[in-house]
Amino acid sequence: MTQMSVPWKPGEPVEYRGVKALIVGLSKVVYAIGRPILSRLAFPIFVCSVFGIALLVFATTLLFGFVDDRLIETATNGPELGLAGGELTVAEIAAGLEAAGVWWTGLLKYLFWPVQYAIVRDIIISLGIFCFALVTPAFAIWWERKSAGRIQSRPGPMRVGNWHGWAQPPADGIKLLQKEDLVPADADGPLFRIAPYLVYIPVMAAFATLPFGSYWVFRNLDVGLLLILAMLGIEVIGVVVAGWASHSKWAIYGAMREACHMVSYEIPMGMALLIPVMCVGSLSLVDIGGAQDGGWHTWLVFRNPFTFGAALIYFIASLASCKRAPFDLPEGESELVAGFLTEYSGFRWALFFFAEYTAMFVVAGLMVVLFLGGWHSPLPASWGAQLGDGVIGRAIKGLIFSGPALFIIKGYLMIFVQIWIRWTLPRIRIDQVLYACVQVMLPVVMVLLLCNTVWELFFPPDSIVAIVFNVIMALIGAVVVVSFLVVMARGFINRRREVGYLAVDLMPGG
Amino acid sequence: MSDSFSTTRPIGSHRFAAVLMVVMFLANTARAWAGETGVPQAESGMLEAVFFYVFAAGALFSGLMICAGKNVIRMAVWLFFVLGSVAMLYFLLGANFLAVIQFIVYAGGILILLIFGVMLTNRSPWVRLDIKPREVAIAAAVGLVLMVTLVGMITVTDWPEEMAVADGLTVAEIGRGLLTTYLVPFEVVSVLLLVVMIGAAYLARQES
Amino acid sequence: MSQVTVETRPDVLIDTDREDQADLCTEEMLINMGPQHPATHGVLRVVLHTDGEMVLGAYPQIGYLHRCAEKIGENLQPFQYVPYTDRMDYVGAINNNQAFALAIEKLAGIEVPPRAQALRVMFAEFNRIASHLVSVGCYGLDMGAFTPFLYCFREREMILDMFEATCGGRLTYSYIVPGGVTHDLPEGFIERAWEFLDFLGPKIDDYNNLLSYNHIFVKRTSKVGVVSAETALAYGLTGTCLRASGVCWDLRKAAPYDGYEKYEFDVPIGEPDGGAAGVRGVVVGDCWNRYYVRLLEMIQSARIIRQVLETLPEGDIVAKKTKNIKLPANAEVYVEAEVTRGQLGFYVQGDGSAIPSRVKARGPSFSNVSVVEEVAKNHLIGDMPAIIGSIDMVMGEVDR
Repeated sequence: MTQMSVPWKPGEPVEYRGVKALIVGLSKVVYAIGRPILSRLAFPIFVCSVFGIALLVFATTLLFGFVDDRLIETATNGPELGLAGGELTVAEIAAGLEAAGVWWTGLLKYLFWPVQYAIVRDIIISLGIFCFALVTPAFAIWWERKSAGRIQSRPGPMRVGNWHGWAQPPADGIKLLQKEDLVPADADGPLFRIAPYLVYIPVMAAFATLPFGSYWVFRNLDVGLLLILAMLGIEVIGVVVAGWASHSKWAIYGAMREACHMVSYEIPMGMALLIPVMCVGSLSLVDIGGAQDGGWHTWLVFRNPFTFGAALIYFIASLASCKRAPFDLPEGESELVAGFLTEYSGFRWALFFFAEYTAMFVVAGLMVVLFLGGWHSPLPASWGAQLGDGVIGRAIKGLIFSGPALFIIKGYLMIFVQIWIRWTLPRIRIDQVLYACVQVMLPVVMVLLLCNTVWELFFPPDSIVAIVFNVIMALIGAVVVVSFLVVMARGFINRRREVGYLAVDLMPGG
Repeated sequence: MSDSFSTTRPIGSHRFAAVLMVVMFLANTARAWAGETGVPQAESGMLEAVFFYVFAAGALFSGLMICAGKNVIRMAVWLFFVLGSVAMLYFLLGANFLAVIQFIVYAGGILILLIFGVMLTNRSPWVRLDIKPREVAIAAAVGLVLMVTLVGMITVTDWPEEMAVADGLTVAEIGRGLLTTYLVPFEVVSVLLLVVMIGAAYLARQES
Repeated sequence: MSQVTVETRPDVLIDTDREDQADLCTEEMLINMGPQHPATHGVLRVVLHTDGEMVLGAYPQIGYLHRCAEKIGENLQPFQYVPYTDRMDYVGAINNNQAFALAIEKLAGIEVPPRAQALRVMFAEFNRIASHLVSVGCYGLDMGAFTPFLYCFREREMILDMFEATCGGRLTYSYIVPGGVTHDLPEGFIERAWEFLDFLGPKIDDYNNLLSYNHIFVKRTSKVGVVSAETALAYGLTGTCLRASGVCWDLRKAAPYDGYEKYEFDVPIGEPDGGAAGVRGVVVGDCWNRYYVRLLEMIQSARIIRQVLETLPEGDIVAKKTKNIKLPANAEVYVEAEVTRGQLGFYVQGDGSAIPSRVKARGPSFSNVSVVEEVAKNHLIGDMPAIIGSIDMVMGEVDR
């Protein structure tokens, strides 16, 4: 399709002029200085950046702490708004900064004056969400490769970045960016080019109502849950268009599978999500998350046996929704070569993967908010409220009791479960997917919905039966988590017997 | 997405809203640097108008592209853009629930089924649509009648001065309305859907 | 094997201009699975005639890896030809060496010393385990389970380490030659072998938990690609594919060679509901049984190796005269051995010189792959990797 348009002979120096020369010279200087530093001090730099990120998170907590206070006041008056909502004036910002203990308010209130415009706050926060949504796939890919490696008794990526291959995802990304953007000759060019964006944009849009904390949400819509469901649903159109536009038979099969996949998993998924909605009485994710602040026994997954069933069914359907194994039929590599991805390469292929891993966080976050206590830790949030609003108190509260950090940690733990399942189970056949979704999960979730209705009607949360069941379920959950940790520790201690001499003798880091 | 767009503002009065917004932003900047602390609030209505025009034009253009298209899947993608633009207009009006349902039901559900049906049932998945002149004439006639009716209705109706905008919290009211005031129509519609489903199942059985 | 190409078969020609069909007609499609496809294990090309996800017919097309292996045999001395037998079934190379060596020994009347015979049995069984490990692991991969694949390769790695220590090769060993074997055991081999055998036992349980008894795996493979005993015999299936269909036929029992009669072992066959395993829904001759028979054979091979290690005799490892053997004129011989995939037979004809005048191989995979066309009808596309993978062919041996 393309050949190198500029013949470039190796060894012949290339001359640059003007701005190009400046850029090239600068990059050479940066390379000359940075390379020895990076190669010798990679690990300290990594550690420093981790600490730097932690400091940044802490500073952000401080900065937005006064926004929190401000919003708590407005929330009682008008409709509940997210982080970006509400109207602020410079004077109010100054007052908030003073209340937060910052003394150089005279200067800061002019530095922060654009923040009074809602659109400016929107843009700042969307950029923040965008950055998070870019970092998430990078981290998830690295984590998936490391987890898969450990599951398969091999080390996983070890080279790039000197410390357990932490720089592997950026390296992969750069490699993919350099690749040629191929469009097959018979493909429907415009559709082929637009399809990755049709997949990626809805997934990003789902972050608009995903709450990271009680006020850490871009928009607290009263239909927040439905919006995320809608965005996960229209993501499928991009996949189908990608498969169709590739003009390859395998890609068409992938697209058809994705379409018929989607019409089967989406109904049980939506109905399973109705159960927590019914328990809390709101479609707003902030309300649902906020209702689970009384410690781990108030998490909705432990509320009664039916919410537990709903959590399981939602989790299975969410695997199907991200096309993760055992539901990775649209791209099942041993059957359809690569399914709808067969003809894609380079950046567009990478976009599909970014979308998949971002969607993994979205569905994991939805699971966390709806069933697993949202941004609350297993400890009751009321204990954290006693710590006060000082700098130290805020930090402890944000890290131990409730805050975005806990939400993100829980989300990544759910991603780990998805990874774990992917590297354990075989793939289901397409007719079995349809059977499982339509003939098993749908009736089961209908029964769960009905039973949950009856349960909520006859056993309100403060009745004795509900409390007994709640405690039993919560204890079972705790036992499962603890025994999981015990089994993990046993496996690690006995790894030579389990994995054989290869594990210890031949593997670096084994 | 509703709250910054949900103030009452007549649509259609800001032609060059984007330029104005930039100018006012710069003016406010200058005033802030001049030391005035009481900076006036930004006009969020302009942004709303800009978005309205963008999405309205998008819906219109995509609709025209559906009519002009010959490739079924491309037409489906244009239909997706129409539905999405209309859903965004609902968001602008503060009708969040309607907008989200538009996404779920039309864009996510019906469109997928449409593409699925086209792929499964046509002779070739890479089919092109050849429209006969007779069909174009009939379609044009129907469209003309529909347009005359709509334009007539729009000109005849006595529109209120201020646009009606929901406050964004529509779920509770819709739910309450469906289960109290409009319970009977709601149930009748659900029975109708059941009948349709049974009919479809019956037709599908006939094939085999 | 369907030698008729698809284009000439009138019943699969697709009329793309049918106007008289109803609106809801579906289109039938021809689609090439392979030769470059992740699930066809090399360069097998299967032409699928599909209606949606349904496979109406599957026509295997072979010949992409033809390397004139048999013709080369007519230009080389048997000793020189041994490396070429490695490259036929490169997953179970030692067994191939053994089959050829048996044929030459019978033709030239060479007596193999007892230690060489025991070593042959041990290495053949080790290679059988390694080959079945590849087969079991790749079958998991075909079903979408990636992890058992790497587990199996981890175990195979241990066997390859032992082979490498013995003869230097890791894939093509040329270990068994006419008259004996090339190398005696290296130092520490016996300990390594015992350690491996102790290690393998629990790992079989791991595979059972991860694959054999896994609900999804059973659902994917049970009642899929059922080959009845009659079909299996009619198509000339041998090895695990034949035994999975319920026919108890193993050359190591039926016509023992190299002293197999001295060792105790069972011949696992396909049983309904997985026999003792008790997996519901499994029928004789389906993909699950073909997979499971290999797993059980690994246990039996380990049993044989234990007996060999306990009763390993001392002595020579190769017969006195093996090089430049004159093959008798106008003599011909056909010898079969039970290699990992079935019965590999070598027909060798001598003309009085050291170079045979005719060498012909009967590859088990070649017969086994022919049954795909018979059993793949009316399955889903998702079943095709299950069927092709359960046949466990190596294209190097099919095309030779």
